[in-house]
Amino acid sequence: MNKSKEDTYIRSEGARTHAIVRAGLAKRRAAEMRFRLYGLISIVVGLSFLVILFGNIFSHAWPAFQQTYVALDVKFDEAVLVPDARFDAGTQASADYPALLKRSLYALFPEVTDRQEKRSLYGLLSSGAAHEVQKRLQEKPDLLGKTERIWVPADDDVDMFTKGAMDRNAEEGDRRLADSQLAWLDKLRADGRLEKHFNMTFFTAGDSREPELAGVWGAVMGSFFTLLVTMTLSLPLGIATAVYLEEFAPRNRWTDIIEVNINNLAAVPSIVFGLLGLSVFINFFGLPRSSPMVGGLVLTLMTLPVIIIASRSALKSVPPSIREAALGVGASQMQTVFHHVLPLAMPGMLTGAIIGMARALGESAPLLMIGMVAFIVDIPGSMAEPSTVLPVQIYLWADSSERGFVERTSAAILVLMAFLILMNGLAVYLRKRFERRW
Amino acid sequence: MQKSTLIMLLLLFSTAAYYLGRTRSLRLVGGQIRNLHSLPAYYGYYVALWCGIPTLILFFLWTALEIPVVTQLVMADLPEELRSLPADRHSLLINDIKNAVSGHVAETKPELQAAVQHFIRLNSLGNWLLTGLASCVALGAAVFARSRIHKDQRARNEVEKIIRIFLVGSSLVAILTTVGIVLSVLFESIRFFELVPITQFLFGLEWSPQIAIRADQVASSGAFGAVPLFAGTLLISVIAMIVAVPIGLLSAIYLAEYASPRFRAVTKPLLEILAGIPTVVYGFFAALTVAPFIRGLGADFGLDVSSESALAAGLVMGIMIIPFVSSLSDDFINAVPQSLRDGAYALGATQSETIRKVVIPAALPGIVGGILLAASRAIGETMIVVMAAGLSANLTANPLEAVTTVTTQIVTLLVGDQEFDSPKTLAAFALGLVLFLVTLALNILALHIVRKYREQYE
Amino acid sequence: MKNPEKTETKASFAREHDMTVGEIGAANLRIQCRGINVYYGEKHAIHNVSLDIGRNEVIALIGPSGCGKSTFLRCLNRMNDTIVGCRVSGEITLDGQNIYDSNLDVVPLRAQVGMVFQKPNPFPKSIFENVAYGPRIHGLVASKAELEEIVEGSLRRAGLWDEVKDYLLHPGTGLSGGQQQRLCIARTIAVNPEVILMDEPCSALDPIATAKIEQLIDELRNHYTIAIVTHSMQQAARVSQRTAYFHLGKLIEVGDTAQIFTNPKHQLTEDYITGRFG
Repeated sequence: MNKSKEDTYIRSEGARTHAIVRAGLAKRRAAEMRFRLYGLISIVVGLSFLVILFGNIFSHAWPAFQQTYVALDVKFDEAVLVPDARFDAGTQASADYPALLKRSLYALFPEVTDRQEKRSLYGLLSSGAAHEVQKRLQEKPDLLGKTERIWVPADDDVDMFTKGAMDRNAEEGDRRLADSQLAWLDKLRADGRLEKHFNMTFFTAGDSREPELAGVWGAVMGSFFTLLVTMTLSLPLGIATAVYLEEFAPRNRWTDIIEVNINNLAAVPSIVFGLLGLSVFINFFGLPRSSPMVGGLVLTLMTLPVIIIASRSALKSVPPSIREAALGVGASQMQTVFHHVLPLAMPGMLTGAIIGMARALGESAPLLMIGMVAFIVDIPGSMAEPSTVLPVQIYLWADSSERGFVERTSAAILVLMAFLILMNGLAVYLRKRFERRW
Repeated sequence: MQKSTLIMLLLLFSTAAYYLGRTRSLRLVGGQIRNLHSLPAYYGYYVALWCGIPTLILFFLWTALEIPVVTQLVMADLPEELRSLPADRHSLLINDIKNAVSGHVAETKPELQAAVQHFIRLNSLGNWLLTGLASCVALGAAVFARSRIHKDQRARNEVEKIIRIFLVGSSLVAILTTVGIVLSVLFESIRFFELVPITQFLFGLEWSPQIAIRADQVASSGAFGAVPLFAGTLLISVIAMIVAVPIGLLSAIYLAEYASPRFRAVTKPLLEILAGIPTVVYGFFAALTVAPFIRGLGADFGLDVSSESALAAGLVMGIMIIPFVSSLSDDFINAVPQSLRDGAYALGATQSETIRKVVIPAALPGIVGGILLAASRAIGETMIVVMAAGLSANLTANPLEAVTTVTTQIVTLLVGDQEFDSPKTLAAFALGLVLFLVTLALNILALHIVRKYREQYE
Repeated sequence: MKNPEKTETKASFAREHDMTVGEIGAANLRIQCRGINVYYGEKHAIHNVSLDIGRNEVIALIGPSGCGKSTFLRCLNRMNDTIVGCRVSGEITLDGQNIYDSNLDVVPLRAQVGMVFQKPNPFPKSIFENVAYGPRIHGLVASKAELEEIVEGSLRRAGLWDEVKDYLLHPGTGLSGGQQQRLCIARTIAVNPEVILMDEPCSALDPIATAKIEQLIDELRNHYTIAIVTHSMQQAARVSQRTAYFHLGKLIEVGDTAQIFTNPKHQLTEDYITGRFG
């Protein structure tokens, strides 16, 4: 083939190619659009899961911030409270407050005489209502002998009813309130004695078997103590490890092992850490079960890898020139690290630490293993007392069958999410504020 | 004296020791700092560390040994008939006493009253003893260290040596954690395999551990065949991966290759929120909303869906894993050099052809590594399955039925009151061992693949 | 150049009015560029460049780093589309068709105007698959035999066939740098382009590999229009018939290679050629 002939051949090939390419174009463009669409659909699906999840939780949680209360004119009758004319701390605690409540409630419904009926009337009030009366008297001892209108919490079934979660047209046997009870409630409402108020109890109380008396404060304190332990241990340990590996450790087999090990620990399922905590901290060292101390220790081991990895990348981002400058003026290696490198890497380390803490705050599986699932009414006051944490409280309430707990579970989730958003927001702020490009 | 007060006291001692060392060094050279080897502060730290470290060690040793020793002493003083109880009753007794001591139980059995009093007495005696001893050690060490200070002493080097030891020690914690995990899980598992043959555990088709806790039955009559659990875990994880891999991968592709920077800046963090939501929230969502929804949907089609169907748990777990897949894939897709894309574009490939035929194959090892990591997440995930999956060990591949998983069983076996020696609780550790080994293998494989991939492009 | 005096006055006029010195037109016109401006975000990378490229010629684009020669090259097959924030104005026609027409599809354009890059960028696939990729995506072949024929033909024309014919299924990334670059050329010509753009194709190669590529370019000139960006003036002198000199985003001078290197008309060109900077 001579030159010009080959040239013509190639040129004709080019024209043929061009024709083929053009012919296939429409199909390929359609495929392109389809592929692009799949990507967009995936993102939309992912985001809509997020929206559904949040919408679902919000809509369930909303009613929990209100609670139904019943107004009763309670007469703090001395004859009931102090039968033997002695009124001090001891008798005050054991006095018959329910009797006061019953009396004022029955006075509103004189037509109710039957024993059975009376019981179901009193059943409209929460079993913690008497406690409210007692608290009121403790606050104001001079109420003794006087009458005051007090708002006491209603039973959770009443609460559900006033929030519209119970169908009054259902068969009597299918709902938790009887016809007579509904009639009484209607009368109370007509008298302005049945109202929904802001649910303060939810934010100040510990756990309870009764939804209307249950609150998250106990769990919040438990989480606080647990995270306190986690932070005081994991922050120094994590930063020290990162400093050692990044600044001092020789590159050898041993440090390789430590590195691989840390990466693997970061991916070990959290429940395995729970097993470790159970057999080492509780069974071997005999630390108190269910306590924030043990919970904090377990979460420390869990978050350490996260903090180490974040801290190391923060240290890596400090340019070597800084170290050389410090070493150049005669600082020791330790002084270089502590005076120059560490302060520059600190924001990055703290960001990592906060993210690690946020993860620890949301963690529940390992804490189930070490007994932080106990039913605990009291608000923990130290790191050695049995307590539970927010996510575990959510788990416990989610397991309860009472209708009232569903909304409280969702509300507790909102509280937890609020803390998480706060912590992550802080991390983002720190990163934005101190981010430095070298 | 409270332990926390003692810690405060020790801190106070150390601070005092710091000033002791500092002033001493200054006085030695008459205020001429240049004549000292190190800065005065280092002499202060030197004395403070000498004072603080031995006392801290003493404190922790004492605290660790205190409870067992006191318990031993109290038990030795118990009446004969209580001491001769069998081992399990014995430990219950100790628990009763401890509860009474810490005041969690309002009333105590009268026969234990004396023991409780004894316990409290010993405890407070021990605390005073510790306070005295710790103070002596702190003072002695501080005085000794102060006497060692002279002007040519290399205080800085010695302080730095101690800090270095602390740094090395910290990095050992990670190793110790792994060792702790392996040992704790392994030992209990070995005890379990003494009661139940390992072959029965690994290959048995029946799982009903609850039978074994009845006192009149021995371990062998409970069934510990874990195959249904493995199958259930696999089923739920596979469903999760079927949800997460396509959605995660396609979103990553869209974000990395198509999306405008502004769209990406908004969408990526939003998707990553899914990874930050606590798993217990997903569990609640699955149990309260998704499971009934699927059940209702199935009923519309005339299907009988269990209220704890594997599908519901798997679906929600898949949602949780989406960001793991997408953010890892995103990293790896971005790591593919632009030159490869240019090469394909220059040939006239469309964007999707470039992505499917060049970018994805080039990023594949990384993506596979990411998917393996996500799978290990799915297998180890606990709360979702505890709350939304079943408890009964069904050996089925039907996603509409209830299955149970390894993690669910670990939780059910270990939560609540338990005797530590029963095969039931030991079985949880055996399951934990399997879980640990499987996820470890997946992680090592994934990290290996990812590392290989990184090397390719660096 | 019939009238040297006339061209001389034209050149001085152009110099004074900040216009390109020399004849921008080419015989046997293939690509025509008029008033090209390129912006990267705020940065004005190319100022008002007009240049023609003719059939079966090799045109070399030279100039100091950052002068816009690569950017200009990437305009010719719209590779700049892949860079975020890059805008191109002006008109470029290929055989009379405006390639920046909003109705034009870049896919057939790039099939017509192929490109070879500075760093060899074989796909992480086998040698065979690298070359087969283009024909496959464009649906150029109906059978395996036909595909094999194209792969062999392309590799032969790239002068690589004898070196790799026994290793077709080995990864393309395993070849030496020079071989990789010739593989990329083979990959480009496998889709029968009419124009080949080369962006410093030899800058990552050793002298022997460079010599082979230059020889290849000389052979390819018979069938293709080639535009090559190069840092090496010797290379430009060896392989090209025309040379265009770019400086700070402007096309300073264009002309026959021999004339540019022996008798530059513009001071900047002369300074660059004589090695005073660059």
